[in-house]
Amino acid sequence: MSFSEIRLSSSGFELGDVGTRNYEALLASTAWRDALTFTVSYTVLSVLIELVLGVLVALVLERLTKARGWMMALLLIPWSMITVVSAQLWSYLYNSAYGALSWLVGLVTDEPPIILGTPVSAFSAILVADVWKTTPFVAIIVLAGLVTIDRSVYEAAEMDGAGAWTTFWRITLPLLRSTLAIAVLFRVLQAFGVFDLPFVLTGGGPGTSTQPLAMLGWKVMFQNLNMGAGAAVAASTALIVFVVCLLCLKAFRSQVAEEDAK
Amino acid sequence: MTALSASSARRRLFTPVHAGAVVIALLTALPLYWLAASSFKPDAELGSTPPALWPSHPTLDHYRDAFGQYEFARYLANSLLVASLTTLGVLALGLFSGYALARLPMRGKRPILIALLMISVFPTVSVITPLYLIERQIGWLNSYQGLIVPYIAFHLPFAVWILRNYLLRIPFEMEESARIDGAGPTRTVLQIILPQAGPGLFTSGVFTFTAAYTEFLMALTFNSEDAFRTVPVGVALFGAEFEVPYGTIFAGSIAALLPIVVLVLIFRRAVVSGLTSGAVKG
Repeated sequence: MSFSEIRLSSSGFELGDVGTRNYEALLASTAWRDALTFTVSYTVLSVLIELVLGVLVALVLERLTKARGWMMALLLIPWSMITVVSAQLWSYLYNSAYGALSWLVGLVTDEPPIILGTPVSAFSAILVADVWKTTPFVAIIVLAGLVTIDRSVYEAAEMDGAGAWTTFWRITLPLLRSTLAIAVLFRVLQAFGVFDLPFVLTGGGPGTSTQPLAMLGWKVMFQNLNMGAGAAVAASTALIVFVVCLLCLKAFRSQVAEEDAK
Repeated sequence: MTALSASSARRRLFTPVHAGAVVIALLTALPLYWLAASSFKPDAELGSTPPALWPSHPTLDHYRDAFGQYEFARYLANSLLVASLTTLGVLALGLFSGYALARLPMRGKRPILIALLMISVFPTVSVITPLYLIERQIGWLNSYQGLIVPYIAFHLPFAVWILRNYLLRIPFEMEESARIDGAGPTRTVLQIILPQAGPGLFTSGVFTFTAAYTEFLMALTFNSEDAFRTVPVGVALFGAEFEVPYGTIFAGSIAALLPIVVLVLIFRRAVVSGLTSGAVKG
């Protein structure tokens, strides 16, 4: 379909063969390159931040005894929340006239900032909203990995005089590798298809600075009604995701093989 | 030795872990509190600076507007209907496919399983054009089945994955005696497996329901007419179409979040085990 010109008619649609023209247009368009840049940087940054925070949260949860159940329940709420709802909430918090967050920032900078008004701050705003909603997911997965680690490994490390820092880097983290690999795979796939959050929060703006590939494809398809070109954007997204999947799997598998060999 | 245990006891009283927990809890809960509190604030307080920390004149006006003036009740009903039917369909199909993958001899199980996990998180946008054109052709745009059928297709893989992991734990002997008694696979699933598959069904059911209830892209594309909008579409387009005050959006949102939050909290063990089944068992 991405190789076609799709003409909608009242009764259905026709496909006209245009060869690779949709893809040539795609590679030449700055909109596609901008969207790709945004999507890649958003994916890398959000997954990195959520991974670091998720591990920290999981470490705290693991050491909690009584309150752990309550904390888990609390963390599940953002995870289960409708993304569109959380996007509306954050857009209210960021509102330059009466948003609580821009008021807070305004206390420091004298003047409340227009958070969603500049590319960099709008990008950060999306990141913050996503980190709030998705870190719990990473934390819960990491926690499940943490509790499977045998206590005796830690005891042995303590006997050898390893401090908490060394134990974490030398023992906990390596043992968590396969858990982390799965969490990263899930998160990368989700982040790469991001749509709801920027759609509601920024509409892709200011300009098109926060427009992900999914939104570009959707707009081309359903607002400009250029189905073939939109399908090309969508297919390019799918292709990239697929390649990333294969790379992750390969890395994951070779690492498992390595551990088996030991 | 005594010095060591004394210091570790002190470490237990002095609690950086508890401090961390408090910070995490606050950061998680504050935006949720703000959402709930704002839905009860009158408009003047919603727009005040500095922001009002709590509603000093709590009002139900926003709830009245969301359900009276605007069509929120309909969005909610649409979402509940679509998500429930999707869940039923996924569980019915998932039970049989999960059983097949867990028990029946089959070639290429591993690739199938990995493919299932991948499909379940593949970006929706990559299939939306063909789906849209097909639905347009057969007149399914703005209909319930137009969402339910693709939802079942999309959410089935993860449910199959979870169900298979549960079914693997059910002991083999009962099935064998059923087979000796002459029961085929279908009867075995219905009479032997179904009664024991409870936890697996709950887990995959909660996941499917949550996913279908919160899905946005397909709902926005296929069911844009007001009569068939689901909650996410309603909430997203609310502000765009009319100058709707945040209070009304939040009131509607709180009402829409209640069923899902209650469901997830009731079944939170099931949810956590589902989240981690992909990660730990692999």
